[in-house]
Parts: sequence; C-alpha cells; structure tokens
Amino acid sequence: MAGMFAGPQEMMGYSFNTAPTSASEPRQHSFYPYTDNGGSTLGISGADFTIMAGDTRSTSGYSINSRHVPKLFLIGGEGPKNKGARIVLSVVGFAADGDALKEKLDKEVKMYKYQHGKPMTVSACAQRLSHILYNKRFFPYYVHAILGGIDEEGKGALYSYDPVGSYEREQCRAAGAASSLIMPFLDNQVNFKNHHIPGSGEGHDLKPVVATPLPKETVIELVRDAFTSAVERHIEVGDGLQMMILTKDGVEEQLLPLKKD
Amino acid sequence: MFIARSEYDRGINTFSPEGRLFQVEYSLEAIKLGSTAIGVSTSSGVILGVEKRVTSTLLETSSVEKIVEIDRHIGCAMSGLQADARSMVEHARVESQNHAFHYNEPLRVESCTQAICDLALRFGEGAEGEESIMSRPFGVALLIAGFDEDGPSLYHAEPSGTFYRYDAKAIGSGSEGAQAELQNEFHKSLTLEEAELLVLKTLKQVMEEKLDSKNVQLASVTKDKGFRIYQDAEMEEVVAKLPKN
Repeated sequence: MAGMFAGPQEMMGYSFNTAPTSASEPRQHSFYPYTDNGGSTLGISGADFTIMAGDTRSTSGYSINSRHVPKLFLIGGEGPKNKGARIVLSVVGFAADGDALKEKLDKEVKMYKYQHGKPMTVSACAQRLSHILYNKRFFPYYVHAILGGIDEEGKGALYSYDPVGSYEREQCRAAGAASSLIMPFLDNQVNFKNHHIPGSGEGHDLKPVVATPLPKETVIELVRDAFTSAVERHIEVGDGLQMMILTKDGVEEQLLPLKKD
Repeated sequence: MFIARSEYDRGINTFSPEGRLFQVEYSLEAIKLGSTAIGVSTSSGVILGVEKRVTSTLLETSSVEKIVEIDRHIGCAMSGLQADARSMVEHARVESQNHAFHYNEPLRVESCTQAICDLALRFGEGAEGEESIMSRPFGVALLIAGFDEDGPSLYHAEPSGTFYRYDAKAIGSGSEGAQAELQNEFHKSLTLEEAELLVLKTLKQVMEEKLDSKNVQLASVTKDKGFRIYQDAEMEEVVAKLPKN
C-alpha cells in the first residue's frame, strides 16, 4: 500500500494543484482523482468469531478532515441501519472510493437475497467483491478492503483484497497507513511467527510454535494494543477506534477513544 | 370461434376483453402436442424420463435429445418445440455459469428456473427502448430437476412464464393420463430405483409405441453424481426390470 498514492507531484493529499504559478509562465492545470485519507484497519478471525477494527480519523495531507469517519460498514442488513447484517466490510485508502465500494457491495448483497431467497454467504460475497474491484481494473477503487464474516461451518472468515481484486482468506490482516507497523505485530501475536519451543534445539533445529486460534478476549486486547501503539508512531492514525465483533449471534459494535494528537 | 377471437390474435401482447392473451394460451396447446415427459422427485434425487418418438426405423434414436444438462447439478426434460428449448437452455446455462463465476457457488434450482421464466415473456413488439428478441411465445414446457443446498427439487416451467415446484409432474401429449397415474402412485418415501420404475411404468401407459430401451430416455440428479443421463446399457437394465405384459 505504501506509495500507492504517489500522485504526479507531491500534492499534500489534495486532488488539485495548489501551488500558485507565476503569471508570466503558461499555467498547467491538472486534476488527480485520488486522495489518501489515511487511517488504518485490521481484521482477525478466530475459531467462531471475526473481529474487524479501524480508526475513525480522516486526513488530507497534514490536515484532519474529521475525527469520526467510520471505515467499517455493515453489509446486507435491513433498513437504513443495516440491522441483522452478518458481513462487515472495512475500507481504507481513498474514502470516497471506499464509500462507493461499500454502497455497491451492499446493493449487490441485498439484491442477491431478493433474487435467491437466502442471505449471501461470506465466501460468495468475497468472490463478488473481487469481481467488483476487478471490473474497475483500469480506474481502480483506491482502497485496501477487508471482508469479515462467519462461514457456513460457523468458523470466523476473513478475506483481504488489493485495489484490483486479488484476494485471499487469512487469519489476520492489517491495512492502511499503519499497516507496516501493525502487520508484523499480528504475524508475531496471531500466527506465532518467530515463536519457538524453548529447548527444542539449537539454531535451525528450534521447533516453531504451531498457531492455534486465539480466544475472543485475547484478540480484542491485541486490537486495542495494535491501535494504541500505531497512534503513537503514525500521524494519520488516531481519534477513535471502531471495532466490530462478528459471532453466530450477529455483529456487536464498539467505539473506543484513541489519542487525538 | 376463431372469427370472434381474431382481433385479439394479432397483437400478441394484447389482452382480449375477457382479459386473456390468446397467443400465450395457444402456446400451451403446442405443448400438448409434444411427446410426454415425466419428472419424479424423491428424498435422494430426481428422476426425469421422456418418450422419444421414433418416426422411422431409419432414425438414429440417439440423436433425439429431449433431456439436456444445464449445469453439473441441474438438468431438464422438454416437451413441445425443441428448437425453442435450445435458447432457453442456453440462457439457463449462461446464467448458471455466471452465478458460479460471480459467487463461487452453484446456482439454486429455483433461481435457475426463474432465470428461464424471465425469458418467457420477452416476445412481441417490446416496450420503448427495450429490444424484443422473439416474435412469439415459446412453444415448449420444461421440467427442471436439480440438487442444491436444500436437497433435490423439481420445477415445471411454462411458456406463460409461471413456474411451480412439484413432487411429480407429467407434461406433453400423454400428460393427463400420466399425471393421474403419478397422483395415485407417488408417495414421499419413494426410493430412486422405485422412481425410475414409476417413470417408466407411467410412460409405458401413455405411449403409443411399445416401450423399449431405445424409445425412452432417463436421467437422474443426485447429490453425489449430479445430473446424469442414463447410458444405453443402464437403460436396458432398467427397462428389463419393468413387469412384462
């Protein structure tokens, strides 16, 4: 994701050229259609739950647009508040594209229920989202999307995407501005990378610890730690932490404060 | 009778004062001229059976295709104008593959049936801005059998665009007699083997020709094997099980 928003020139996150040019020279106008709105998201799936999280700050360059712009969306519920939804989409990158993508996927999931008389499964939704992204292969939605839900076997399901629709089911994924800070932490704490059984050997003979699904309470703690740490080291992350906890009983949303500096 | 109707026979999408669409009603008559097709649904799968009218001893019976595959898990039997069924089946196949492409899961049987029926009323002049593809209604009815996450199911789709789900259904020229027979013989605890025999026995009663392994065709849809048309050897085996008389 890093460098994804490198525009024609360095433009401080504005979509248009702000630098005044001298009157004598010919003026070149430009329009760059993308803006980086910063922020970070993550998702972790467990044995029978999935947790999605994202900060609520929206930025352009060094400015804060708002302290409360959610990056997590309920997909395919009923009514204006999407009641009863069982799928959550998180998007980080260019917020306007993220919003458009959310609206499109939500429409598709709702239409699917009317057409086929059953709610869409996460795996079907994951495939659909991939196609929606790829359909704009040559003018992409500038977002890193993560889709979470509970699969048909009742297990936590998490899918992550690149901006043009490549996707993969994973145990955990961090995306956005602080992804390079959070992802290694998750590799270590969720997938037990670089954990070894003490005394099991020397050097390459050391036996790695086999990753097992973590309990929900542990994962919630990991998410909070990941974000409080990211806020310390990344200026585009902060203000609030939006968390959605998906279980077989539905989706529970939590909002927690983060540092506003 | 025809003189009285003629005014409303022209515009095929025009209602008669009694509120009828004559061309659609006539298309239902076309099916009654077709060969008999029967479907029976059991708890473990669906059996489809059709009679092949062998009009000449020189006719290669294997070229009469009245049962076709739509997808691995859906198949259909037809009665009426077979050429019309080709475009319906083609549409259903595309729809089924598109669904698998978009959603990474098999299309439901009801959704497949709905997709076919969506085609049925696309005849006539067409509204402004929309291109109409057919000049007349379809002259064929389909029995659509499939197996999805809810188990086996059998649907009957008509040229009028309506469809219903059945436990057992007969269409075509012998449908009246066959349906009465199915009504008497069907019960929920039929096995797949019993259903094969019920289909053949019913076909035998309504066919003009003497039933043999060449002038009937069976197919099954089950969870494990999906849609499958019976091979010649299997047909001979099943026909041999029929009581002789």
